[in-house]
Amino acid sequence: MRPFEPHLIPDFMLDILPYLSVTLGVTLTTVVFGCVLGGVIAYLKLFGNKLQRLLANAYTYSMRCTPSIILLFIVFYGLPKFLIEMFGYDINDFNRAFFVIITFTLLFAANISEIMRAAYIAVDRGQYEAAVSVGMSSWQAHYRIVFPQAAVIALPNFGNSLLNLLKEGSLAYTVGLVDLLGAGELIVARAYGASALEVYIAVGLIYYGIAIALEKICLHLEERFSPQKIVKV
Amino acid sequence: MELNYEFMADTFFKLFHALPVTLSITFVALLAATPIAFLLALARIKKIKYLQLPIKLYISLVRGVPMIVQILVIYSLLPSLLNYLFKELNISYNIFDLNTIWYAYIIFTLSTCAMLTEVFRSALQSIDQGQLEAGYSVGMSTWRIYLRIIIPQALVVALPSLCNITVSIIKNTSLVFMMAVKDITAVGKIAASYGYNYIEAYIDVFVVYIIICSVVQILFNVLEKSFGRFRQRVLSN
Repeated sequence: MRPFEPHLIPDFMLDILPYLSVTLGVTLTTVVFGCVLGGVIAYLKLFGNKLQRLLANAYTYSMRCTPSIILLFIVFYGLPKFLIEMFGYDINDFNRAFFVIITFTLLFAANISEIMRAAYIAVDRGQYEAAVSVGMSSWQAHYRIVFPQAAVIALPNFGNSLLNLLKEGSLAYTVGLVDLLGAGELIVARAYGASALEVYIAVGLIYYGIAIALEKICLHLEERFSPQKIVKV
Repeated sequence: MELNYEFMADTFFKLFHALPVTLSITFVALLAATPIAFLLALARIKKIKYLQLPIKLYISLVRGVPMIVQILVIYSLLPSLLNYLFKELNISYNIFDLNTIWYAYIIFTLSTCAMLTEVFRSALQSIDQGQLEAGYSVGMSTWRIYLRIIIPQALVVALPSLCNITVSIIKNTSLVFMMAVKDITAVGKIAASYGYNYIEAYIDVFVVYIIICSVVQILFNVLEKSFGRFRQRVLSN
């Protein structure tokens, strides 16, 4: 058996770490687009007519049942072909990140729409009515009273989804994006498969570090914005 | 867009031949992980010393590291490690002849176990401590109280999470093609690359997964209704 060389792991981590910016960049872009699309879907679920509600729910359902990697392959192979044949527009030479962001936006939007819907419902209707009764417009009541409370309620689930997104994002290397795992794979390939274990452990440790940091941040935010704390201030 | 419908129909039925692989990984993972996870959950609840930290670390590792990285780490570790062990112990079995699905079983059991531990812990804790005391007061043993009173109630609480976990295992099994296991995704991939019919094949795979997950969710709904029956009975009395 080839000897296990743990002392190589820190070196590999340093080699791979610069690609954290790619992973985080893709993740953050996805979150921004995903929240916009998720917001629209949540709106349809809450206030849409029957058909719109049905479509929004069907969308969420099918995304929940789809392995990310399959959707990634469908977008990666299907979208360029679709655009060329329908509009004659060639996106084959686009950056791989483009396809990854589209895929994960679709997936993340489904999750986030469900979280947004649940959080909106969880805010007591009386809050809105009270706000309107003191002369706020409907928009003001939402913007100043309902949304901030819903955001606090949504925070734990949002953190969870974000963590999942970050982890699932590692699948992007299967379509050739050089993110954390992609960089690791390159190192493995360059050494013809030697020290694969050490490289993968290094990648795993980096992801673990991010996950722990993210969890800590979420806990801190939850505490900071918990209703008791805000009322006391 | 021109799709090759004939190919799609062919592949769609071919994919179902790979269904047992996907399902067997899911079932083995769930079945093997359940007893271990139950014990780990009990250890967490009873706050057994020296076990708290390792269990917490294990759960957070599984939660924090992407599934694909877990697969890559274990798949590059286990075969050579086992080979080394077998040589040391003079077992003449060639480990590289072993069907790679065994590694899939191991990996998915490990990750499922972590997820189940958390679910069982919160489900068991949701049951009022008074139930245990009531059981003692009528002279039942701890073992019996768990089997007859606490677990049936906790199971109803845990079922929705169990459903989510099952669906997520099924989704994650799509990654086993990395280990040369021929599951649904792998069969789709092979069919796709044969004639460059990527989109058709992956749309098929997409549909198959939606069908499987729907069936699983329907089954869990039925289970939830039948396990939860005692609740209505209690309420109506």
